[in-house]
Amino acid sequence: MRRLVWAALLAVGAAPALAAQGSTEELLVQAHQFYERLEVERALPLLRQIVSPNWPFEVTAAQRVDAYKYLGACLALAGKRDSAVLYFRAAIERDPFTELDGSRFTPAQLATFDEARRRTLAVAVRPVEPARVDPRTTRVTFTVVATHAALVDVKLSAVGAGTPLVLFQGTLEGVREIAWDGLLGNRRLAPPGRYTLAVAGRSRVTGASESARVYFDLRHEVAALEDTLADLDRRVLLPERVSPEAARRDIAKGLGVAAAALLIAGGANGDLGGSERGAADVVAATAAATGVVAFLVHRRHGAIPENVVANARRRAQRDSVNAGVRARNADRIAATVLLVSPAAGEGAGP
Amino acid sequence: MRAAAVIAGALFLGGGRALAQGAFTIAPLVSLAGHRVDAGFGVERSLGPIIGGVGTVRLGPRFVLAVRALGGSLFGARGVLDRDVGELGVEGSVAIGPWLSLQAGVTRRAYATRVGRQTWTTVAAGATARVAFAGTMIQGVGHAALLPVVSVTGLPDPGVAFRAATGLEYRIRAATLGVEYSLERYDFPVIQGVRRLEQLTALTLLLKLPLP
Repeated sequence: MRRLVWAALLAVGAAPALAAQGSTEELLVQAHQFYERLEVERALPLLRQIVSPNWPFEVTAAQRVDAYKYLGACLALAGKRDSAVLYFRAAIERDPFTELDGSRFTPAQLATFDEARRRTLAVAVRPVEPARVDPRTTRVTFTVVATHAALVDVKLSAVGAGTPLVLFQGTLEGVREIAWDGLLGNRRLAPPGRYTLAVAGRSRVTGASESARVYFDLRHEVAALEDTLADLDRRVLLPERVSPEAARRDIAKGLGVAAAALLIAGGANGDLGGSERGAADVVAATAAATGVVAFLVHRRHGAIPENVVANARRRAQRDSVNAGVRARNADRIAATVLLVSPAAGEGAGP
Repeated sequence: MRAAAVIAGALFLGGGRALAQGAFTIAPLVSLAGHRVDAGFGVERSLGPIIGGVGTVRLGPRFVLAVRALGGSLFGARGVLDRDVGELGVEGSVAIGPWLSLQAGVTRRAYATRVGRQTWTTVAAGATARVAFAGTMIQGVGHAALLPVVSVTGLPDPGVAFRAATGLEYRIRAATLGVEYSLERYDFPVIQGVRRLEQLTALTLLLKLPLP
């Protein structure tokens, strides 16, 4: 029961907006039908209602442009050229991409529309469509327009940073598609972030200036990169030199072995004529001498050649592995795919 | 010279304990062995050279198997009979750390004099510890093992039997030169008021070579 109540409330709340859109669309369709039947006098009031500030219902930008365009077309048919130009200009100013279909409108209407375009400088760029672009084979395409001949600059730049990249500079009249290979001025792939495409034009007819811009986000789609091996630190590498402390410990180790030999001989021989321990003495003397000599040698020449070689081998192995990782990563980066999506304005980007 | 077979002296089970350079190693050795026995008539001493060798095979990163064959003569002092000694042994060694390994092995030893022959069969279990000198070219080695099973012809089993050894190993390129003092001690039970004590010591020089 409670769900039914909520559903009813939602339906009641949504009803005015749906009705408003329906009213504008219905009126526009009705005006189109009058126009198609050449009942211009009946179409005009309907179209004027839609563009009137007093029209109580919601009018989308496209509906408003369409209403202005048909107002211009109706007035052109009615022989009111100046008024037709005025409405056509209103349509063009709101949407510079506005066109008249040559197969559906009369030459007089087309001529009037061209007059409106000559008198109105508008430049625009279509919102960027979401796209997945492999810069090795395809391009990001932008569509720009100038309503009449104008000197146009089309520049691409990262929001908040970087020198703009000039994509087009020259005279433009009408619609033009501009391709971008995904590279910046330094010939490197554009990094991920938010970008803006700015179009600035100066009319070659009236001298007027106009500009427009769109924003889009750029992301990279790249296979996961491998990490290179970290630098070999002291814990991984073998000591290449004997420390003074280690050299001193050699004396203790030699004496330890000597003491062990004497201990074994003395401890076990007691009840078997134990004073004869020549063999143990030999080992004990050898061990003690070894400890002293090792201490002296290591204190003077502390290098440990086999460790130096072993460390060099480990470093070479690491370098070899890292070279392979870098090569594979470079291949993956070279295959980066650009993901383009429209954005609302300046911001941090993706 | 009544030299006979092979001997025991070198308690140098070192082949198994030493640093293995490759899968196979062979280690010729020479020992100066001293044998002492007190069977109730005073201490009898004999001394003599022993030669032999130890072959090892590495069966894994931690396991080494060693086979030992030794032989020599012990010359008695002041009325003590000369004797020949021979020994065959096999030993397994497992490294349980960079400085410690455990060993277990079986040894068959024979003493022969002009009047008789005696065989010893021993089972040993022990451990070897190593301490590297700075630079790693030299290692100190200590070894201790209990001999829980000792079977001697004509004698009861000894109540106490152990082996201890210590020495040094010098690595010279691929070879390893070892010097070691070792001691085996057997205390037999008292029989008719007499306690038999027997001991074998050896100063051993060994050169371990990796086989290609």
